[in-house]
Amino acid sequence: MVKRKVAALEKLDADFASLQQKIRRDPRSYKEEFLKQWEQYESQREIFLVSPSTATADSIESFHNIIDLIAHVAECYKEETRSFADDLSTILTQHHTVLHPELREKIAGSIMLLRRKEIIDSTTALTTLFPILVSSPSKSLRATLFQKILSDMRNSNTKTINHPLNRTIQTVLFNLVTADRTSPRAIWAIKLTREMWKRQLWTDSKPVDVMKEACLSENEKVIIGAVRFFLGGDQEREELEDESSDEEVDLSKVKHQIGINKKTNKQKKIYEKAVEKIKRLERKKSKPHPLNFSALHLLHDPQDFAEQLFSKHLQNTKAKLSLDSKLLVLQLVTRLVGLHKLTIVSLYSWFIKFLTPRQQNVTSFLASLAQAVHNLVPPDVLEPLIQKIANEFVSEGSASEVASAGLNSIREICARQPLTMTDTLLQDLVQYRKSKDKGVMMAAKGLLSLYREVGAELLKKRDRGKNATINLKSGIQHQRKFGEEDEGGIEGLELLARWKEDERKKKRLAQGLPENAGSDEEDDGFKSDEWEMDSDGSSDSGDWINVDHSDDEDGPSSKKQKTGEEDEAAAAAEAAAELERISKLATTTILTPADLAKLQELRMTSTVEKKLGTHRRRQKELEDRHRDDGLTAEQIEAPSRLRKLTKEERVELAKDGRPERGEHKSTQAINKSKLAASGKSTSNREKERNKNFLMTLGKAKSKQKRSLVETRKVLRGHVERSTRGGRRRNGT
Amino acid sequence: MGSSQRKKNEKKKDFQKTKFKVGKEKAKAANFTDTSFKSRAIVMGQQSLSTTAPDVIQQFKHSLSLASSSKSDKQRRESLAYLTGQLSAEPPVNPVGTHGVLQKLLPLITDSSTPVRSQLLKLLQVLPPAEVRHSTEQAIMFIRAGMTHLSADISNDTLGVMEWLLNVAEDDLVTCPGGWVKTLNTFCALMGWALSSSNQGWSSAPRATLKAKGAVTYARQITTLAKFLEAGLRPETTIPEDESQTWENLYRIPRDSNAFEYLNLYGTRRDEEGEMYPNREARQRVFERKFLEAIMKGADHAKKEGGATGRAAATLDKVLQQGMGDYESATAVDTEDLLSLW
Repeated sequence: MVKRKVAALEKLDADFASLQQKIRRDPRSYKEEFLKQWEQYESQREIFLVSPSTATADSIESFHNIIDLIAHVAECYKEETRSFADDLSTILTQHHTVLHPELREKIAGSIMLLRRKEIIDSTTALTTLFPILVSSPSKSLRATLFQKILSDMRNSNTKTINHPLNRTIQTVLFNLVTADRTSPRAIWAIKLTREMWKRQLWTDSKPVDVMKEACLSENEKVIIGAVRFFLGGDQEREELEDESSDEEVDLSKVKHQIGINKKTNKQKKIYEKAVEKIKRLERKKSKPHPLNFSALHLLHDPQDFAEQLFSKHLQNTKAKLSLDSKLLVLQLVTRLVGLHKLTIVSLYSWFIKFLTPRQQNVTSFLASLAQAVHNLVPPDVLEPLIQKIANEFVSEGSASEVASAGLNSIREICARQPLTMTDTLLQDLVQYRKSKDKGVMMAAKGLLSLYREVGAELLKKRDRGKNATINLKSGIQHQRKFGEEDEGGIEGLELLARWKEDERKKKRLAQGLPENAGSDEEDDGFKSDEWEMDSDGSSDSGDWINVDHSDDEDGPSSKKQKTGEEDEAAAAAEAAAELERISKLATTTILTPADLAKLQELRMTSTVEKKLGTHRRRQKELEDRHRDDGLTAEQIEAPSRLRKLTKEERVELAKDGRPERGEHKSTQAINKSKLAASGKSTSNREKERNKNFLMTLGKAKSKQKRSLVETRKVLRGHVERSTRGGRRRNGT
Repeated sequence: MGSSQRKKNEKKKDFQKTKFKVGKEKAKAANFTDTSFKSRAIVMGQQSLSTTAPDVIQQFKHSLSLASSSKSDKQRRESLAYLTGQLSAEPPVNPVGTHGVLQKLLPLITDSSTPVRSQLLKLLQVLPPAEVRHSTEQAIMFIRAGMTHLSADISNDTLGVMEWLLNVAEDDLVTCPGGWVKTLNTFCALMGWALSSSNQGWSSAPRATLKAKGAVTYARQITTLAKFLEAGLRPETTIPEDESQTWENLYRIPRDSNAFEYLNLYGTRRDEEGEMYPNREARQRVFERKFLEAIMKGADHAKKEGGATGRAAATLDKVLQQGMGDYESATAVDTEDLLSLW
């Protein structure tokens, strides 16, 4: 809208801004003026409503201005402006398609303003704006509305989680998604939910339900949006959390600034804010970590959901999803199957037709397949798939990338369900470890090392390796049966047991006793004085603790007796005894908070050690990756990718994590420019050195001409200043 | 050291002779102003390339659109003047009809330029009253907007338009939907006779009418209000019974523009304010309930001020006594009760 030029005098007269300011300063005295403007608003609205679509630029502008004024002063005259909010939402709801864009935004903005001033509540504002968001044909309006809705949702959830509001909005979103499955409107539900999820404002199962329904929609955009949420929403959430915890305030810097700059209210406020922020961060640190479940875990009835997804979007030949979207849906389905150990038998046979090297994005299919496997999948269902992969991918004639991808995927499948493999096939595949190509060789070795651990019987004797042969012979290692599960235990408990043992030994040595005491001797290396709470100490509390300790001692003492013989079998038996002993530690004693803290610490150090460990260890870790993390196509094709790198990429990889060195420069120069970039100046010495010679000349000359009295004065001043920390007073 | 040398050089520069060089342009003077400009096209104000002059109708329509939408004050005023000339010719030239003209020009009531507004009033006065009657509802909407405008000039000029409308179509004005209550509301807001003046125990400051101009305006407002009230509260003269007219009323299609408006078949539901008050009694009733007290009080205050304001207030008082003297509050059925039955 082109604004008509206003004459200078008239401007003075018709100044909404100054009127607004006056009214807000003293609402009671300016009530008369306000009432006049309220009448003006009424009549402008009337004029406007006669023909909202064909209103002239002038009337739109004056309506715009008057709405702005009323919205800003509405809090001063709540009684008079009762109908204002309703009027605005009616206008917007009924005419948003034909309204002038600026006026439209002004009305939406005014509604949010009224909401901020708490004249209307969030629910009213959001239920007005949300239907417009999903139905408006204007892109810019949708963008602003979305922004406004989101910020309002965030604001109303900052101090405490606003459960009633969240519930209302979630219901609205759910209805939006389920009402019309073919319409693309549900995309807004997805966007909003995703944002709220990312910021951890919504963490319960209701938003997950919304997303679940969206996954089963018929619109491709909606499906993909929802599927992406399940695949990446939690990661996004974690990243955001990391980011937000990174930002820190340097309090000392702020203090320093205050010392230097003029003392103003603004500076004071900045300082207070910084202090507040630091306090908040401290509080946040000391708070227990919020237990946020991932969206995949919060799903209700994943079996049904996975089956529906599979039959609707993948198995159904009439589904018109593009390949990329199909792959995403497939990833979600397989992820669900792997994570929750679901059983969808037809899924595996469906895979068969995609397992050829010519299939587009075949690595993604392979990764999805591996993801879908878990230890409760019947091996006979998987066998044809493995066979097909081996036939199609792994042969002398196929390219090395293809072969390595095939081998990797077979390894991933077998890592999850080792019973799938037959001995002939395995022995064939293992032979590829002699291949000249590094990718293929590594993949085959990976398969070999996997089977040395999970099914050494299938390998030829000379391929089994030392450990596997020994363990097989001694009966420690045996092939798992179908459906067999590990017993549960506490992670890192053996570390704690070992540590306790060591402590006890140290204590005894310090007391001058032999390392290993008799079992009846009362001992507890680290007791009462070090630990605030001790459950297994005090002998008078009950004799069952003593029994436990004598048991505790049995393991090591027997170890002492037998170590002389250096027998493998004995070692195995000892290991078994050790296991038993450890498991007893948890079942027979009560772990104190101090114990748990130590346990946590030990766990941490051991993981750090693992991280720092050798290549072999890393490989192992790769194999027992966490089950919750999905498998990606990159992991299937990883080694072959390594070989294919161009020089630039390799250089890039090498440079990764090193400081930026744009041009050829000395380290000193780089440091200096870094300092300058962060707003820091040079040091005083540097400044002294760089001072213009001519500027120092005058002082040097006058110094020579000084009289004795003057010199004395200067020296005294120096001494005096040094007592005061080297600072000059003002004016000296 | 360095700076003083520089200053010396700078001073010297003023007295140095510039050297002309072959092949180079003369140096520009220090006070040189660049007057060159770049433009894709030169726009001529009102250039017409056709050889034949457009006919009167075209010209009329053209100036009508100019008057309603031109960005320049002058152009608006001039085209209004042209339209006035055309409308006051004998016989008047008006290809779009009075309603069309009003629809286009009524928004100019709140125009920012004073000459335009005064020209508009002149134009309105030459419109045939019989046809203006049908557009009263639109006109009163814009008049209300103009009266409450933030700019005092505009609201003052709008009073003139209000007077014009009272002269041409007072009956339609007070009976049209929203014409009675909403306009009275506007008057009260305009003069600061607040409707809900229940400032429990707080006396609000009296109107600041120290300036002569303010007093004149105030008096004019009161006079206009008096006229308006007179129109609304005047006893209806019973039209002498005419046999043929009665039959015509019964069996002919009515000739009014919107004869069944009071049924409000298509519009949105009207509230008390937007309702039609077709007869005197209804108007009296609603006036008594909502405005009488405030206006009486305001008139009393104004009378005490004396001068032009006092005289105007006395007129208003007289009108009130004449209009409301014979009113008994208990007699009639209240429309509000009927409305609440909905």
